[in-house]
Amino acid sequence: MMKAVLISMIALGLSGAAMAATVGQPAPGFTLTDSNGKAHSLADFKGKTVVLEWTNHECPFVVKHYDARNMQAQQVAATGDDVIWLNVNSGAPGKQGSVDGAGANAVMAEKGHKSTAYLLDPDGKVGKAYGAKTTPHMYVIDADGMLAYNGAIDSIPSADQADIPKATQYVTQALSELGAGKPVSVATSKPYGCSVKY
Amino acid sequence: MKHSAIGLALVLASAVQAAERVETPELAVTLVAESAAVPGQPLNLGVLLEHAPDWHTYWINPGDSGLPTKLTWTLPDGVVASEIAWPHPERFELSGLFNFGFHHRQLLPVALEVPATYSATRLPVELKIDWLVCKEECIPGSASLDLSVPVGTLADSGPYAADFAAARARWPVASAANASAHIAADSVTVEAELPAGFSADQTFDLFPIQAEVLANVPGDASASNGVLRWVVPRSDYFRDAPDRLSVVVTQGKPPQSRAWILQADVVNLTAPATTAASSVAPTPEPPLGFGWALLFALLGGAVLNLMPCVFPVLALKALSLQGGAHPRHGVFYTLGVVLSFVALAGLLLGLRATGEALGWGFQLQEPWLVALLAYLFFAMGLSLSGVFSVGERWMGIGQSLTEGEGDRAALFTGVLAAIVASPCTAPLMGAALGFALTQSAPVALSIFATLGFGLALPYLALTLSPRLAARLPRPGPWMDRFKHFLAFPLYLSAVWLLWVFGEQQGVLAMGLVLAGAVALAMALWLFGSAASGRVSIAMALLALGAGGYALSQAIAHEPAASPASAASSSVAFDAADLQSRVEQGDAVLVNMTAAWCITCLANERVALATDAVQAAMREQGVTYIKGDWTRRDEAITRYLAQFQRTGVPLYVLYPGANRAPKVLPQLLTPDIVLDALATVETPRR
Repeated sequence: MMKAVLISMIALGLSGAAMAATVGQPAPGFTLTDSNGKAHSLADFKGKTVVLEWTNHECPFVVKHYDARNMQAQQVAATGDDVIWLNVNSGAPGKQGSVDGAGANAVMAEKGHKSTAYLLDPDGKVGKAYGAKTTPHMYVIDADGMLAYNGAIDSIPSADQADIPKATQYVTQALSELGAGKPVSVATSKPYGCSVKY
Repeated sequence: MKHSAIGLALVLASAVQAAERVETPELAVTLVAESAAVPGQPLNLGVLLEHAPDWHTYWINPGDSGLPTKLTWTLPDGVVASEIAWPHPERFELSGLFNFGFHHRQLLPVALEVPATYSATRLPVELKIDWLVCKEECIPGSASLDLSVPVGTLADSGPYAADFAAARARWPVASAANASAHIAADSVTVEAELPAGFSADQTFDLFPIQAEVLANVPGDASASNGVLRWVVPRSDYFRDAPDRLSVVVTQGKPPQSRAWILQADVVNLTAPATTAASSVAPTPEPPLGFGWALLFALLGGAVLNLMPCVFPVLALKALSLQGGAHPRHGVFYTLGVVLSFVALAGLLLGLRATGEALGWGFQLQEPWLVALLAYLFFAMGLSLSGVFSVGERWMGIGQSLTEGEGDRAALFTGVLAAIVASPCTAPLMGAALGFALTQSAPVALSIFATLGFGLALPYLALTLSPRLAARLPRPGPWMDRFKHFLAFPLYLSAVWLLWVFGEQQGVLAMGLVLAGAVALAMALWLFGSAASGRVSIAMALLALGAGGYALSQAIAHEPAASPASAASSSVAFDAADLQSRVEQGDAVLVNMTAAWCITCLANERVALATDAVQAAMREQGVTYIKGDWTRRDEAITRYLAQFQRTGVPLYVLYPGANRAPKVLPQLLTPDIVLDALATVETPRR
């Protein structure tokens, strides 16, 4: 018991800035250039709910949600409610799924993205600041800039489109709860997918 | 989506051995049987995975990304497949992300239970396998494989015997070594006895079977003094602690590797507050510097001299100095006080080390001890009132010391001062001393020693400085009256302790103890009366016996259902209930209190129970939960420990919406509470 307390105190003492984005804490700020060369800062969206979607169009798990049109449907519903939806690609240049601005625009056209913008993070700094591990990996930031959700797109980790209708769509759920002024019932989950290609 | 993998799949059937194979450029999968099926005996099947160079598939816990390979069987009636008997995994790193899995050639064994009544000549097996194979990119695949295993008696070691043997060599050995996993807000520490065959000279790796408890990075690993230790950050996605954490420990690389599976008892230092959706740690108060802690202990000890339980003893001792100071006595008195405090703290640390959930104030959580202390104060009061005098020696009060009798008496007075002071430390200094107990033993003991030194200081100063002693008032007949007066604070202390006892045991029990007090008074009166002789001593013993009987009867009573808890509408503390409320995003104010904690009662009177605060709680929809630590309560002690406390009061506000809990100060004002309540976000219910 005594030892446990000591260990926890040491652990608390060691905890610091190194931690990734944490639900209930302010979301890490960032400024990134989008596929059209325009800079976006998280601070620009103060007062609005923001969704971050880590993506890699060649990853089968991303393909699952785009080919089933699940992702686009969520983007349409969210942006229709005045939510900002940002794709983020943290793939290092040359690795699978990494794109430049033109490449991103081509992917958006081909897949029918309905997001607000597609942000490029080729050096992976923002991805690492958030602790983004997989594609897709989803974050929801509330209107006060606090992180409200961190995790998977839905509750069934698989690459099979047939699982989508059976799964709880965590981002949709978080957005509707935030919209109703309710607490987010599932605020963290383990993201699943391909690893982010830092 | 079409799995291109399947389009490319090349299906081969082997006529020689029961085996079927599917091949993609990254992975070949073969379903094999180790032997013919024998009714009544397990049939060992294997899924052989042959990875292209640099590609891997995943273990039951895949790590940061990836998916475990999944098998779905279709089998004849009565035949049942086990789960995969997973060989131990290897760790793969990709740009700072970690995965657990397999590469090269790896067989995943599965045992089929074949009933003794199985009568067909072949045993048809259908397997649907889903996998995810990754290098840097990932390719999911799935396939259906059929196998028709002959039924017979032959024990056949076919071409896959080496693969079965290699897989078994990678099975972790179940170890009964004691293991524990301490889950703190940010880190998890796994500790275990070295399992049999473990080499302390060799590095090891550790893989948790349950995901989302440990982060997947390599931990800070050490093995010394017969204990292996693995300290690793807590998973970012941690929500609930399992009761037990199963971990696989490996040494060496396959095929020379060894592996063990350990069951670690989980000590969750963060539940329930922080396991709720939010993974935010409670913000600890900045720890007091050691120097400051000592200074406060010294001052606190000095202030104790003014407490109603201690003051009478000290005042009389001080007055006894008028005949001239005896430095030796001051030193022995100080020694008595300090040793008693250190002994008390040492006892508590010792009990805590053996796993007792005790905090400071424990001395008031045992009803029999509370009753005894009440009797002690009452008896001391009676003595001061002149009902009896037990030879001045034993209380060390009065003439004997000024006449230069014994160092032992001085030492004993010190012990007595510490004893009478101890109940007074709990109500006012419980939290501060509780904090001291969470420090290392030398630090804790020196804080307690300093506290004792502070308590002894005024008297020590008087004995060491004749000039100071000379400033005491002259002796005279007023001293008797003063002594009688000093009995009253002691009676008040006794009343307070009796009230605490009543809160713990109920009114009936308190009545019995009061009857015992009357018996005690009578015994002491007889003892002290001039007509003392054999008869009176016998009477005194009888009365003491009666008091003891009353006490034993009182203790036998079960405590009243729930100690009275003011007028405010509160809910009794229940860890599971609190957790579910917090998980639902409700706002909750937790008040951990005890009847003997005067700070707690003052805070309730001044702040928590006021109309303004009660109204604000109703308005904000805050549930008010009260935990009563008047008696020992392990659940509350554990809750306190989450906030690095070992004593009450503790006030924690969960502001709703799964935000991090906030610890309120130990001294409350209505404004502090109202400001905190204003931060609450919750839908009105």
